[in-house]
Amino acid sequence: MKFKLHAKLVATPLVVFMTIASAAQADTVLRRANDLSFGGSESLDPISANRFYEVNDLIYSRLIRQDENGRPASELAQTWKANETATEWTLTLQPGVIFHDGSTFDAADVKFTLERIKDPALESPVTDVLGLIEAVDVVDPLTARIRLSTPHAGLPLLLMDYRVRILPEGAAAPFGIGTGPFMLDSYDPESTTILNANTAYWEGVPKLDRIEFTAIPDSEARNQAMLGGQIDYNGLTRDQEPLYAGNSAFTVQSYPAGGWFGIAFQGNQPPLDDPRIRKALRIAVDRADMLALMSGEGNGIVSCDTPVKASDPFRATLDCPQDIAGAKALLADAGYPDGIDIEVFTADLEPGMVQYAEVYQQQVAEAGIRVKLTVAPSDGYWDDVWLKKNAVTSWSQRPADQFLNEAYRSGAAWNESHFANAAFDTLLDQARATLDIEKARTLYVQAQEILFNEGGTLIAYQENGRRVMSARVTGIAAQDEDYIRWHMVGMEQ
Amino acid sequence: MNTVWLALPLPQILRDVLAQRSGRIGMAIVCLHLAVALAAPVITPQDSAYQDASAMLQSPSFSHWFGTDRLGRDVFSRTLLGGREAMLIATAATFIAMAWGSALGILVALIGGRTDAIVMRFIDAMMSIPWILLVMLFIAALGSSSAALVPVLGFSYGLSVVYLARAAALDFVARDFVLAAQARGHSRWSIAATELFPNVRDSLAVQGAMQWSWILLAVSSLSFLGMGVAPPTPDWGQMIADARGIMQRAPWALISPMLALSSLVIGMNLAVDAWARVTGVERTRRVPGA
Repeated sequence: MKFKLHAKLVATPLVVFMTIASAAQADTVLRRANDLSFGGSESLDPISANRFYEVNDLIYSRLIRQDENGRPASELAQTWKANETATEWTLTLQPGVIFHDGSTFDAADVKFTLERIKDPALESPVTDVLGLIEAVDVVDPLTARIRLSTPHAGLPLLLMDYRVRILPEGAAAPFGIGTGPFMLDSYDPESTTILNANTAYWEGVPKLDRIEFTAIPDSEARNQAMLGGQIDYNGLTRDQEPLYAGNSAFTVQSYPAGGWFGIAFQGNQPPLDDPRIRKALRIAVDRADMLALMSGEGNGIVSCDTPVKASDPFRATLDCPQDIAGAKALLADAGYPDGIDIEVFTADLEPGMVQYAEVYQQQVAEAGIRVKLTVAPSDGYWDDVWLKKNAVTSWSQRPADQFLNEAYRSGAAWNESHFANAAFDTLLDQARATLDIEKARTLYVQAQEILFNEGGTLIAYQENGRRVMSARVTGIAAQDEDYIRWHMVGMEQ
Repeated sequence: MNTVWLALPLPQILRDVLAQRSGRIGMAIVCLHLAVALAAPVITPQDSAYQDASAMLQSPSFSHWFGTDRLGRDVFSRTLLGGREAMLIATAATFIAMAWGSALGILVALIGGRTDAIVMRFIDAMMSIPWILLVMLFIAALGSSSAALVPVLGFSYGLSVVYLARAAALDFVARDFVLAAQARGHSRWSIAATELFPNVRDSLAVQGAMQWSWILLAVSSLSFLGMGVAPPTPDWGQMIADARGIMQRAPWALISPMLALSSLVIGMNLAVDAWARVTGVERTRRVPGA
């Protein structure tokens, strides 16, 4: 009797422990941070200006993704082909794909998603990228034909846009139903957002059971959460990187990326409507030194005000050493022989944004450019300062055509320097219509040369990306987040 | 009837303050800071704005006594210069706060009645708004230049001075010498300036000194938030904000401005404590809104 009692006393907690242990073993959870870039108004509408990118990337799929070399690769579109004039593109779609709500993916969803981008009521910034789509025809359930208002030989590159995610036909707010490897369980951007694995994912069952996003708006707090083991994956700054050196609990990755900080000067406001002044403000910068100060030598690539990343075949290779004498001459020529006073706004939104402006202020002083630096409140910076004042700006990488059209074409919604140049716009139109890739390259390069000579955005360098992960995370190569195949990411127990 | 002054003469106050240990220590710290602030442009060993990509985040050494920051700038030079602008703003703003706050407080105490009630309810309403929010509202409208900070802080911090000046003046408005001045037909301004002010001077002086250290902290706080002193002018609050992300890797970049700021505030508190004891003033110990 006594033995039986003892056996029960031992066996009961053992069973409970084993149950908990097996449940814990089955639960592979990746914990991430949401930096609250949009102050809690993060949207699950992938084409919203407030898109919740990190979550949308997991719950939705694109028609075409990019491979590890930045080239178009099949996702929901198996194949794509243009007509001879590149005004029509026919896409053959992946069969057997179902949405998280159980409905089947077909060409009607493609039509709904792509035509929705042009809805003026949505005021989507993607319109500047894919506004050339006139209509989408449903040829059959697995074939969609995209008709363009102007020819575009590089449409597959545009469809790689991180925001062009396929929604089910008729989708409406609050959205959240996609064909991606993870399904929305709960959504609270200001607290915790939980995604569960989509076991019916067409590319295979995700290795992770769940991904959780916890709101941590402060960069240093995110770093401390990473060091403390409260999250498993985080972006990293140059200053934070040494904290993880030699620590076997973490994996640190540095990878080529096309993101950059810049300063967008308002070309629609005097005296910056004079291209000589805009150029003077840019050529006075020592870009290599700025890269070394901001990111460390070798952790990026100098840019001559081109937003296009180094690996993009359409990137212009220009030379732009610091030219103090040239800047002074341009200012004198424009009527400012004694130098010029300008105000530049920045905010402590991302690590390095304030320092970027400080380095600029110091470097251009020698050319007689006297910069009054104003640190604006982070809250509302993108709404109240950006696009309205000379402001430090931050962009993630995009394909060349998308970048040049979205940020520099006359009248584009995110044309932050209000650059307006008819010759530039014509070059972009010609490049889009050109099927010969070498000829298209020449045209894109010419467009970037115009930007260097007359543009209003300083882009001194493109910095490598950095991330840190728990050493237990598997399946993430040292590449930009846009390339990560999330269904193949796992956690070692 | 001659004006009656119940306050001690200034030289005697200073002697009595220095006779106390805390007063001596406090005055020494404050005087050292003032001397450094005045001499900083001459004694800084390096250009505080010079950015050196080859010397980023260096630990303290002979060439950089307090090390370097993330842009390779000399932290010692920046620390020496980092209090100048904040002290200047604090001094000017304190002057404004004390001037309007004292004048209004004494006047409403003298006038009394409905005017007193209306003014004080307005002050109550303004005081109910946290100072940082009030200052941020003004900064949003006026910008965050030093020229804008002075009147904004002067107004915000003058609100509590109205309270103090009124309370101090109420002790004297019913005294014979004030009634006599009224009977002689003196104007309210004249009575406030010649009969009441000299008698509340000690209370206001102690309050003014405390206001100075609070405003200094406020300027540093605003700089920490990016709304105070603008780069490239070095400022302790701004330096602390810059260094907080690298505190584990380069603690020297954080500790130097923190020590400078806290030592000045502590020094001022010690000196004011001694002053309050000497003059018999019960000084306010809480930061308004804190």
